Amino acid sequence: MSAGLIEIKGLGRSFGEHVAVHPVHVSIGPGGITGLLGPNGAGKSTLMRMLIGLTRPDVGQCSVSGQALQGDGTAIRRLVTYAPGEIAVYKELSAGEHLAWLLKGRDPGALQRAMEMAERMELPLDKRVQGYSHGMKRMLFVIAALAPRVAVRILDEPTEGLDPSRRKEVLELLQADAAQGTTILLSSHHLGEIDLICDRRLFLRDGELLDEQHSNQLHAKGQRALRAHWNEVVEPAPLEQALAGLGELRLGADRLTLFLESNDPRPALAALATVDALPAPKSVSFGQLSLGELYHEIYGREGI
Amino acid sequence: MGRLRNLLWLTLGYFVILELLLVAAVLYYPEFIKNIAALVRIAKFLPVAGEMLEHVEKDGVVAYVAAQHFFKGGSAFGSVSAVLFAVGAVAGEAYRGTLEILLARPQSRLRILSERYAIGFCAFSLPILLSSLTTPFWAAQVGESVPYGSMVLMSLHEILFLAPVFSLAFLCSTLGSNPLRIALAMMGFVLASYALYMVKTVTHYSPLRLADVESFVNVHKNGHLDYPLCAGFVLVSALLFVASVRCFAKRVP
Repeated sequence: MSAGLIEIKGLGRSFGEHVAVHPVHVSIGPGGITGLLGPNGAGKSTLMRMLIGLTRPDVGQCSVSGQALQGDGTAIRRLVTYAPGEIAVYKELSAGEHLAWLLKGRDPGALQRAMEMAERMELPLDKRVQGYSHGMKRMLFVIAALAPRVAVRILDEPTEGLDPSRRKEVLELLQADAAQGTTILLSSHHLGEIDLICDRRLFLRDGELLDEQHSNQLHAKGQRALRAHWNEVVEPAPLEQALAGLGELRLGADRLTLFLESNDPRPALAALATVDALPAPKSVSFGQLSLGELYHEIYGREGI
Repeated sequence: MGRLRNLLWLTLGYFVILELLLVAAVLYYPEFIKNIAALVRIAKFLPVAGEMLEHVEKDGVVAYVAAQHFFKGGSAFGSVSAVLFAVGAVAGEAYRGTLEILLARPQSRLRILSERYAIGFCAFSLPILLSSLTTPFWAAQVGESVPYGSMVLMSLHEILFLAPVFSLAFLCSTLGSNPLRIALAMMGFVLASYALYMVKTVTHYSPLRLADVESFVNVHKNGHLDYPLCAGFVLVSALLFVASVRCFAKRVP
């Protein structure tokens, strides 16, 4: 009944004086792709590791597909696959041997499916992983996490270090997997891909999970962002005057971002056209930089 | 898989070294025993070494094998090997960053640790047992007789003596992340034990006293292990293993 449901109740962890993750309460799934966002050190990896028993929580409980986290989490790890964020391999093993080692204890067909995926991705399985590039190693771990038949996959930065075509392939694989009802929890710094494939976004800041309603409001706000760029410095005063009352305005030397009150950008565009001596903009976009703006709103810095 | 392969090669290498040392020592025995009286006289100035030679003079080839194979090859060189076979178990994984993928598999930490302990234990103990079993054959080549039973018992005594050394290094491995540093610290401990052993006034403080020529000759003469002592070895090893399990359970990759 609860297959694919991740329930987190007050899970938290400190390392000495440093609180890595404040008690988190959230339910994820069943099904769908949930993105976990946050800058380095926000607590994303620690939270993911706690879910599968790699790091012991100080407080709280969690369960995956109805299985509570107990002891060292072996019971949960049988129901979940995990791809680590940091890539380290046994250099002396070939890629095929590595896959066999990673999939030990999984369902009998997992290795065969992994081999087929690796072939499709053109990964040479007989080659030692020592000779693999960072991206190829990442692919190997993603394949090992996607091959077993499980209801939940936890992927820590699955596309980090991949070239654009590989990244696209991985995102397609994740979408296809989620379409079959699998719950996927992934972390990433790539806001664009999170926006592209995730049904839900969770934001962590300094180990605290942001109120999801607040996040959704911010996301919706980002969807109403009108942004314009110029090739030269523009006068701020006429812009402020023309756009007054249309939304929250942020001005840079050669750019502006206007968070509109409504979903219709036409009044703002018409107001811009009335500004005297305003040069033609290099670019104008509406709602496209939503997650970047959102990231900036939350963390006070630009996302990737 | 790769670790197992490396361990197999190391085990084979350790066996070959032990066997070569044994063969060289046994084949040299006739020459050695011819000069034993003179050697004992010279060694009077080196009290602990003199004790060993007196044992050889009194008890013959078994004491000689105890000194050359079990004391030198087993207690001294074997301690270093036991340390080397133990330190990579967890610290080696942490050092190369593979601890996370090791622990992320659907296997319990207890099982992972137990497997590693058992494999490491076999890796340092099997070469000692196997090379000891070839001793009667080599002794026969120089006209001497060494009973198989004594060799098995002496090997067991040796392995049980090394078990706490191995277990201590194993515990350090579950706590640490730098196998080289752990190995160096443990080897320092082994060398200090050896140095203590060779100084008459403090020799009784050295752990090597528990597995020296006299101990092995006693096992041969009695026809059985020193049960209280061996039970102590087993108990200490078991406690160290339990401590390793507890430390490993809390370990963050």
